Amino acid sequence: MISIQNVSKHYGAFQVLTDCSTEVKKGEVIVVCGPSGSGKSTLIKCVNGLEPFQSGTISVDGISVGDPKTDLPRLRSRVGMVFQHFELFPHMSITDNLTIAQIKVLGRGRDAATDKGLKLLDRVGLKAHADKFPGQLSGGQQQRVAIARALAMDPICMLFDEPTSALDPEMINEVLDVMVELAHEGMTMMCVTHEMGFAKKVANRILFMDKGQIVEDDDKDSFFGNPRSERARQFLAKILTH
Amino acid sequence: MGYQWNWSIFGSPVPTGETTYLAWLLSGLQTTIVLSLSAWLVALALGSLVGVLRTAPSKALSGLAAAYVEIFRNTPLLVQLFSWYFVLPEILPFGLGDAFKQQLSPLTQQFLAAMLCLAFFTSARVAEQVRAGIGALPRGQKAAGLALGFTLPQTYRHVLLPMAFRLIVPPLTSEFLNIFKNSAVCSTIGLLELAAQGRQLVDYTAQPYESFIAVTLLYLAINVVVMGLMRIVEARTRVPGYLGGK
Repeated sequence: MISIQNVSKHYGAFQVLTDCSTEVKKGEVIVVCGPSGSGKSTLIKCVNGLEPFQSGTISVDGISVGDPKTDLPRLRSRVGMVFQHFELFPHMSITDNLTIAQIKVLGRGRDAATDKGLKLLDRVGLKAHADKFPGQLSGGQQQRVAIARALAMDPICMLFDEPTSALDPEMINEVLDVMVELAHEGMTMMCVTHEMGFAKKVANRILFMDKGQIVEDDDKDSFFGNPRSERARQFLAKILTH
Repeated sequence: MGYQWNWSIFGSPVPTGETTYLAWLLSGLQTTIVLSLSAWLVALALGSLVGVLRTAPSKALSGLAAAYVEIFRNTPLLVQLFSWYFVLPEILPFGLGDAFKQQLSPLTQQFLAAMLCLAFFTSARVAEQVRAGIGALPRGQKAAGLALGFTLPQTYRHVLLPMAFRLIVPPLTSEFLNIFKNSAVCSTIGLLELAAQGRQLVDYTAQPYESFIAVTLLYLAINVVVMGLMRIVEARTRVPGYLGGK
């Protein structure tokens, strides 16, 4: 579904990604973790072309992201993305947030789009908030709306960029619950997150990144049981002691 | 001081007898309002376009927009006015300059030059506000729009500009007020707007205090109305749960 081959990226002289390669199969859940500044978010933003990269290839469902001939908006409309800071559109009601891209990008009718949006809003447990505005919801609620907004486009896969990092501890679980449910339904997911509980529960594989490189690409049992690299061992020792 | 106040001059007939001095003032007021409003509409449209281009990913486009802003923002309004009125008709190609001078009435020439001058001058300032408004939005908003499959123009139209314009209502209000005040400069090319009518009144009646007090009050009245209007715009577009909205 997602194929990343020898991707490198630099800002001027600063190397952000070095020769990253991995593969995400249909229905797989991949968790990307690593220390801050290791390039996790940059890598995931390369997957839908939000960040350009200088060498290597990324293809999603067989379509090359880096190819200048690719219709990026069309490709992106099929790849759901959830951001650290939710990024709902503050001037639109929750319903409009859920429907605008369905209407303007997919060309759905307003009624069909609203139906779909409200169904998904119900699924993330927020049906009662349809007429509110993003600023009137808590962070956890906004993030669940953001997930529903992405799902409304019927994505073939979902990218999560630290979806719980900006949330109060109390709200993390309500977002993770939605993500776990999604994983169980067979959604292909690539998640940058520090939530190791989530990773243990639903991830098929863990990518561990450091200094712009994919240091480990392992199934979760061997990653948590017996990480191969010293760097990953240190990282796990630090974050799993609490 | 032996000044003789005489407020009844406004009701007295002008030398030609066909109307009153008050009517002169009111016709000046009308010219000021029509001139400023039409220039404002052009400035808003042009400024928005240039402001958006300043944030465009293309270096050529944003550079071009930056040059536009610097030219119109960093030269005196009076110099720009003289350029539009005296210089431009001389250098316009394809006989356009001659057409301007020969086919349009002098009044239309003055109005057109004044309107374009105010519009372009103000558009550079509007462009800076629009650019600042877009820049003040969280960077993730653009990414979120693009990630949903919007094209870049769609992202501006549906995501960035609606919030950017809300953020810049207060500075745009100042620009809107400024355009009325700046329009007084246009009396220098002979356009009979409010300030020019005020000076004409002084020449004819020798009652400078009454004339200029009346002119001042009329400018003040325009700007009180504009401020009220913009306050309504601000209240109407307020986003619930955001920036002081309920």
